[in-house]
Amino acid sequence: MSNPLRRLLAAVTAAAVVTAAAIAVSASGGTKHTAATAPVSTTFRGIPEHAGVLGNPNAPITLTEYVDLQCPICAEASEQTLPWLVQNDVRTGKVKLQIRTLHFIGPDSERAARVASGAKAQGRLWPFVESFYAAQGQENSGYVTDAFLRSVAKAAGVNADKALAAGGQADLDQADSDATRLGVTATPTFTVARGDGQPKVIGSGVLSRAALEKALR
Amino acid sequence: MTRRAAMAVSGVGLAIAGYLAVVHYAGAAPVCAIAHGCATVQKSHYAELAGVPVALLGLLGYVAILASLAHDGERARVCTAGLAFAGFGFSAWLTYVEVAELHAICVWCVGSALCMTALAGLSAARLA
Repeated sequence: MSNPLRRLLAAVTAAAVVTAAAIAVSASGGTKHTAATAPVSTTFRGIPEHAGVLGNPNAPITLTEYVDLQCPICAEASEQTLPWLVQNDVRTGKVKLQIRTLHFIGPDSERAARVASGAKAQGRLWPFVESFYAAQGQENSGYVTDAFLRSVAKAAGVNADKALAAGGQADLDQADSDATRLGVTATPTFTVARGDGQPKVIGSGVLSRAALEKALR
Repeated sequence: MTRRAAMAVSGVGLAIAGYLAVVHYAGAAPVCAIAHGCATVQKSHYAELAGVPVALLGLLGYVAILASLAHDGERARVCTAGLAFAGFGFSAWLTYVEVAELHAICVWCVGSALCMTALAGLSAARLA
């Protein structure tokens, strides 16, 4: 065997070993939820929800979150921010929460948003969103099937047949028009309104606890 | 000539990997933007390998390639080729993941993959 070929083989062999090991480690990381494992929602247990508004209807502050249910950052924000926000500000009647479900990531977003509207009609929007995030799949992979949505609905205590039958067009249109009016171009985006005042955008992404507390003060 | 070209490509790759590493450690708040899609790639579990940011591994890889290019002996050439081939292989895997798994493309990652592809070709030519 010639020297150049031997050198090439040595380099290729060493690289193949390293690459195979790296790919094996990379491919094994992370966990994916499936529809069958959508966990039962508990964060909002016992909190009143009316027309998608979570908490005391007379709370002086309204925090609105603009989301796309396929958005992984929205799921992260929900997981990191909502539990203490609900515990400290919603359960105590200081803040009420609203959600506006956008659908710009893809067709799965629209299907999810329409069924979320059906959950809202049943007073179970927030548990539905929480359960959806917990089972969230890869964007635009077609994972938002009827079976997936039924599993999420079941975990959230939503009547799946009624929710899937909901058109939800009015909620989709309202979310779009509100987002356009406020200049919301990314999710998650949070707005705060005091009393009957106009909502103001306070930030996008996974907001820190300090940033939210300052905005709600 | 081939060696200088490889050094230049490594420099570009180093800059790209350095930028991605800074973005990773800066912890900038990512969002899903209506005009630009989600920061899916950077937020996915594929962005780290056994807890180490892939961007940092890329940075170290380019540094190692540059160090191996500082010498022109037989061992150094084999070393450069081994590193470049490994980088090319792993970049190909990550590009596959972006397209087939995440359905999202990170332009900077594609730039680094192209650098690794060029380095694999140049280092193979130096072995011939």
